[in-house]
Amino acid sequence: MARKRKATVATQVIDSVDALEAKMVEMRKAQAEFAQFSQEQVDRIFEAAAAAAARQRIPLAVDAVKETGMGIAEDKVIKNHYASEYIYNKYKDEKTCGVIEEDTALGYKRVAEPLGIIGAVIPTTNPTSTAIFKTLICLKTRNAIIISPHPRAKDCTIEAARVVYEAAVAAGAPKNIVAWIDQPSLELTNALMKNVDTILATGGPGMVTSAYSSGRPAIGVGPGNVPAIIDETADIKMAVSSIVLSKTFDNGMICASEQSVTPVGEETYIAVKEEFKKRGGYFLTPEEIDKVRKTIVVNGNLNAKIVGQSAKTIANMAGFDVPDGTKILIGEVESVDPSEEFAHEKLSPVLAMYKADTFEEAISKAERLVEDGGYGHTSSLFIDPAQKDRLAKFYDAMKTCRVVINSPSSQGGIGDLYNFYLTPSLTLGCGSWGRNSVSANVGVKQLLNIKTVAERRENMLWFRVPEKVYFKQGCMPIALDELGTEMHKKRAFIVTDEFLFKNGYVAPVQEKLDQMGIVHTTFFQVQPDPTLGSAKQGAKEMRAFEPDVIIALGGGSAMDAAKIMWVLYEHPDADFQDMAMRFMDIRKRIYQFPKMGTKAYFVAIPTTAGTGSEMTPFAVITDESTGIKYPLADYQLLPNMAIVDVDNMMNQPPGLTAASGIDVLTHAIEAYASMMASPYTDGPAMIATKDTLESLPAAFEEGAKNLNARKKMANASCLAGMAFANAFLGVCHSMAHKLGAFHHLPHGVANAVLLVEVMKFNAASNPTKMGTFPQYEYPHTLQRYADLGRFCGIPGSTNQEVFDNFIKRIEELKERIGIKNTIQAYGISEQDFLAHLDEMTMLAFDDQCTGANPRYPLMSEIKHMYLVAYYGEGNIPADIDERIRQAMEKQDAETHEEE
Amino acid sequence: MAENEEKRPLAEHEHKKVVRDGDAVLKQFDSTYPKANVFNEALNQVRVEETDLNLPHVRDVRQHDGEWTIVMDYIPGKTMAEKMEEDPEHAEDYIRQLVELQCEVHDHEAPDLLPSLREKMRRKLASGELPVDPSERYELQSRLDSMPRHKKLIHGDFEPRNIIYGEDGKMYIIDWSHASRGNASADAAKTYMVLMLQHGKDLADFYLNEFSQEAEIPKQLIQRWTPLMAASHLLRTNERHKEFLMGWLDVMEGQ
Repeated sequence: MARKRKATVATQVIDSVDALEAKMVEMRKAQAEFAQFSQEQVDRIFEAAAAAAARQRIPLAVDAVKETGMGIAEDKVIKNHYASEYIYNKYKDEKTCGVIEEDTALGYKRVAEPLGIIGAVIPTTNPTSTAIFKTLICLKTRNAIIISPHPRAKDCTIEAARVVYEAAVAAGAPKNIVAWIDQPSLELTNALMKNVDTILATGGPGMVTSAYSSGRPAIGVGPGNVPAIIDETADIKMAVSSIVLSKTFDNGMICASEQSVTPVGEETYIAVKEEFKKRGGYFLTPEEIDKVRKTIVVNGNLNAKIVGQSAKTIANMAGFDVPDGTKILIGEVESVDPSEEFAHEKLSPVLAMYKADTFEEAISKAERLVEDGGYGHTSSLFIDPAQKDRLAKFYDAMKTCRVVINSPSSQGGIGDLYNFYLTPSLTLGCGSWGRNSVSANVGVKQLLNIKTVAERRENMLWFRVPEKVYFKQGCMPIALDELGTEMHKKRAFIVTDEFLFKNGYVAPVQEKLDQMGIVHTTFFQVQPDPTLGSAKQGAKEMRAFEPDVIIALGGGSAMDAAKIMWVLYEHPDADFQDMAMRFMDIRKRIYQFPKMGTKAYFVAIPTTAGTGSEMTPFAVITDESTGIKYPLADYQLLPNMAIVDVDNMMNQPPGLTAASGIDVLTHAIEAYASMMASPYTDGPAMIATKDTLESLPAAFEEGAKNLNARKKMANASCLAGMAFANAFLGVCHSMAHKLGAFHHLPHGVANAVLLVEVMKFNAASNPTKMGTFPQYEYPHTLQRYADLGRFCGIPGSTNQEVFDNFIKRIEELKERIGIKNTIQAYGISEQDFLAHLDEMTMLAFDDQCTGANPRYPLMSEIKHMYLVAYYGEGNIPADIDERIRQAMEKQDAETHEEE
Repeated sequence: MAENEEKRPLAEHEHKKVVRDGDAVLKQFDSTYPKANVFNEALNQVRVEETDLNLPHVRDVRQHDGEWTIVMDYIPGKTMAEKMEEDPEHAEDYIRQLVELQCEVHDHEAPDLLPSLREKMRRKLASGELPVDPSERYELQSRLDSMPRHKKLIHGDFEPRNIIYGEDGKMYIIDWSHASRGNASADAAKTYMVLMLQHGKDLADFYLNEFSQEAEIPKQLIQRWTPLMAASHLLRTNERHKEFLMGWLDVMEGQ
């Protein structure tokens, strides 16, 4: 049988680097072919190979013992059987070829590909089972494998590989898919390591270190030094027999085998000792301990002659005899230091026994043992499973990648025998503690390249507005009625500004509240560009008053201030710096905005058209002590109710009508051009743009006399707010924010002087950089502006023509409502503007609004837009760089003087 | 009488003889000894001269009748080995001084061009003359491969016979023929082995403890080198020592 078998595999002998390299050329071809195999083909080969290995389990075990002179054939039979049957069972249904996972909704696939040629280093301790294990998992993953056996076990390792190889080929695998070094030497092992695609190294740290230093990807695993603790709550009979089973298994050659045992407490110690004696444990006398020490370790190194020998043989080598039936030599020692020979990994049925008064002491001993010989490998505890605290204490303390509980650790550690979740494997990763690349029990997962195919998907978008939006002239008292009749509010806190308060705007609200018996108070000290100081004052009053409803009445300042007071009232410890942290995607922001509305309901009643703040999740507050503006954005800041009643807006002065009206237009146009624009925001944005273009001049010129224009503007403001509350804004607002902050230009005016320049910038068909957002497919902003223009009735036969006319129309509107052409025209000195230009540019770039802009602006581009807006198009002086430099120098000199 | 004393061989090895000649020491090689090795030895010593360590300086390398000689300074004084023999009571004190001096050598980064210990060891382990079986050789080679790469100055034969208490009160280190660039723990493993063979286990263990403490290197790291040092020493030692050292070789790494 054997002769016939050998005749079928006429492979060239690999005994030199040349032969190895020639073989690997063949293997590359074989693997390329194998990589094309289907899952069905692979599974057939895997099954045939596993079955063949299982059939040969006994001869392979006998051969291994004969050749290496180590271990027990009957136990090696189990290992061979395990390596074939358990590995087959674990992976028989596992997908390892092609698409292994797919989600069509999320648009991704995971596709498994082989790694290529695996170089497998096989140890002497498990020479056949590890060869079977590695060969099988390589076949399952369509990898080729070349085996480097240990010289001491080469024949049996090669035989094991041959059994698997022949069965695989018979089942259809390509020839040369499995190979081995016939005459192992370190030179060949190193040559192998340098030529394979991944190294799978099991064995001593020397080999594993070489694998990791080879420059090739390596899965190498480290040595163990397993401490076992027997807690006082443990089932001692089960514990002791488990250890005896594990420690005698193949004469202790499994790396996960117990090397020491520590019973907790004197009573446990006595009971454990008695039980060991009953089960074949031999307790060495002090003299015998010394003899065994000298035998098992030479100069701190494990004596190879004792590895895998029986207890009796080792005793005889040490110069004494033990009774027949002795299974384990137990040395009672004290030191856990490596200078104690018994504290080492012994790879034989020699066990150290320690005493510990407490569980903690036992743990600290175990920690030291693991640290000095088995970092990252395995630890073992016997305990009553109800002792959850102790169990947790143990696994917290152990720097081992396997913590086996109430199990023989040899069998427990290799998995699937005493716990069916732990992956069956003969290659046990020790993580970074053991300087390994893996912490798991190695299996097919580590032998695949997984490609993730990611299809383009669009982000889910949203449309969020206040739950109640009431509009139409005269709606305010009716809407407020709900506060009493439906919501049964008791205490209202009104936030407004002094002008509105003194001019009787608050009175109708107060009267309505009085009618409903809602107690109220009014805070009317809100200033334009509201400060943190005044918001804190308001919040303090709120805390004293304890309102269950807050009513913000006014323009953007009053509404923003009220929102901030609301935050401070509900969350006095909120940190504005955190809340103002910039985000790329509001859903993925680092800072979690606190939940609002637990203390008070928020009602916003605008008196201008307008910031749209009644509809938006935004608020801006200035820390007057530092001058820092905190723009806050979170849907928690959405008002609960918005009341848009034109009666509150009839008497806006023309200047305010113009500035806040042009702000409405900017909101609408930027929201429409935003990368986040959707049909849900486009509708309101289009109507807001159209109505503003049509009605703002009349509202500006005729004021209260033109009710219809006022109505249109009231709605346009609210609709634009609806749009930009969800589509956000763009770089025009970013720049306007900084222009306002540095040069105190009213917000609407700042937008107005920048808007046209930004539109031209965005309309470019080949921008320097386009914005990053899956919905945004290509630079299409010119088309978008043209669509918006056409909706507003702007003529033109091409997009460019419509766009140009749209720009003209905006310029005309600006002129009609008294907006000046340039920033310079607003009296901002050239020196002042240029001196702060770089800083303003950088801050505008960093403004939250920049993120939604369809064209991702470079800072130099923002700077240029500022300059065009300052001097007017075509009027930027030729020596502008020099002017900026001088302005900055002058500014510096003045600052120094002041200091 | 003075004439006589001055011509007495200071040491004799298989291919070389060391004799005093006035204020010089002549290291005379026989005609079979490769010329390249002679120059190499002289060159290594000269490289170490560049450090601030006290050692005899090379004066000349010359040939006479087909035999090469390295001429270097004679250091008047007694070796530590001689003093230990005269004063065995204080052997441990001498070992402490040895450890201190050895650590001082290790504090030096090796001159770049000094040969690498690892390469020397690699050649020795590959040598067909090494009396080990393929399995042992494989284990030894992979053990060497796993050793960390260090660049310390290593004397390579640091033992009491190679330390001279100079009459000028300074301690001198002689015989740099094994000097290399490598690991302090390897150098210590070699010293440990030599002390074991010459002075017995007690003094060797004493040395190991002292060195481990002084150099702050765990004993196990030094001991990891002992099989390798034993293997390399097997190539040039007597039968009695060979048998002893073979017992150090057949060891296995953890699994």
